Amino acid sequence: MLTAIVTRSGEAAVSVRLVDTDSTTPTEVVVSAENEELMTMSAEPTSDDVPIEDSAEVPVAAESRALTAETGTVEVVDAGPNPIAPEGKELMWTFGPFLIFLILMRYFLFPRLRKGMDSRYESIRSNHDGADAAKADARAEVAKYDSALVGVRAEASQRIDAARQTLDQERQRAIAEANARIAAKKAEAEAAANAERAAAQAQVSAAVTSVTSTLASLALGKTADAGVVSQAVSEAMQNAGSRS
Amino acid sequence: MIALEFPPINEILRWKDLFESFNKISLIAVLAAVIGTVVFLLAGRQSAQTAPRGIRNVAESTVEFIENGVVMQTMGRDGLGWTPFLLSLFTFIYLCNVPGIIPFLQMPATARMALPAALALMVWVVYNGAGIKHQGFGGYFKSVLFPPGVPKALYILVTPIEFISAIIVRPFSLAVRLFANMLAGHILLVTFALLTESLFQAKDKILIPFGVLPMGMLIFLTGFEVLVAFLQAYIFTILTAVYIGGAVHPEH
Repeated sequence: MLTAIVTRSGEAAVSVRLVDTDSTTPTEVVVSAENEELMTMSAEPTSDDVPIEDSAEVPVAAESRALTAETGTVEVVDAGPNPIAPEGKELMWTFGPFLIFLILMRYFLFPRLRKGMDSRYESIRSNHDGADAAKADARAEVAKYDSALVGVRAEASQRIDAARQTLDQERQRAIAEANARIAAKKAEAEAAANAERAAAQAQVSAAVTSVTSTLASLALGKTADAGVVSQAVSEAMQNAGSRS
Repeated sequence: MIALEFPPINEILRWKDLFESFNKISLIAVLAAVIGTVVFLLAGRQSAQTAPRGIRNVAESTVEFIENGVVMQTMGRDGLGWTPFLLSLFTFIYLCNVPGIIPFLQMPATARMALPAALALMVWVVYNGAGIKHQGFGGYFKSVLFPPGVPKALYILVTPIEFISAIIVRPFSLAVRLFANMLAGHILLVTFALLTESLFQAKDKILIPFGVLPMGMLIFLTGFEVLVAFLQAYIFTILTAVYIGGAVHPEH
């Protein structure tokens, strides 16, 4: 048996589908129609049949009427209401759950979550404040330490200066003592050297006087006055010393 | 040739009842409410003293997004009392949008006019109610219909425009914007899915490799719909906040 499914939009038929309902695998013959005359045409499958898989999601016919005949059934299927028009049942099933969700959210879900968030934020804020206080304390301690460190450094500097002065004084004193010792020893050495030099000079003078007296005696044939020779030698040696 | 038959618009939009007066759209709406409730319920049960993780992190991020990204931007601190309403609205719309890309559901509930219309109607009632509550009936409609600073002669033009804009067009545009965007996305996905299937099953074997082109587009659009689902929920919510803020504090 063939069933003609006529899709209508208002008064006009937009398509006619012939469905072989006896077949185990549903086969549709889609015949586009421009007018309703095709609703009454003989429904014979043709070689141009286009098989269409049965869909689980078939559009719902809002209104349908069937004309039963011995040879088949003509089922006029309305295209349904405007596809963008809201349906009452959908309005009800979307508004209802949202309203329940809103009420639950307003009085139960959100306050509970917000309370937890506020509690954690308060805890974090409190810890943050505590950390700030600890930081301020630490900074005060650091400042105190720094000021103490400055005092200690100043005192250390003073002590170092004092020690340095003491060391300088000690050094100056030691140097002065050493210089004095060196000067004394130098004076002693110079005195000894002068004594030695005077002794040597006396010995040289005596020897020169002796030699001069002998030479004068030999030259003159008589003994020279020892006092005169001695004075002359002495003056000659002094003159030689002053020239050198 | 490709045997491509695009189904009538009703075939991709209207669903048979799963049971009496309850179809896939209703199922998605109920699931959205249930999932939203469960998420916030489970989030509320986790310890609040430790750093939020998992589902609590999701819930708290959503709350902070609504507070900082919607309420504070439009109504300021005074508007924080509206957070539960806006949070519910955003969550519900998002969870109704997302099934458009979830296998087996593959239909955003907001691509049917009922849901956006119901929500827009409720928003209309809420912002007008809030305005009347804060300013009184006369004060509210005076602030809406007779904006201050406009020369009195211009009220002849401005008042009808404001009436149409604030009282009639707002809920309509709110509903149509959400509905049309989600419907367009749904139709695009259907189009490329059908084209992909047709090319892969083409009798002419040379056409089969070309099936990857619409399939690539289908994958791209599926990812794009994730963004659209979020964006449309955000737009609906922030416009609601703007309308409420404008009704409660007309001087802003």
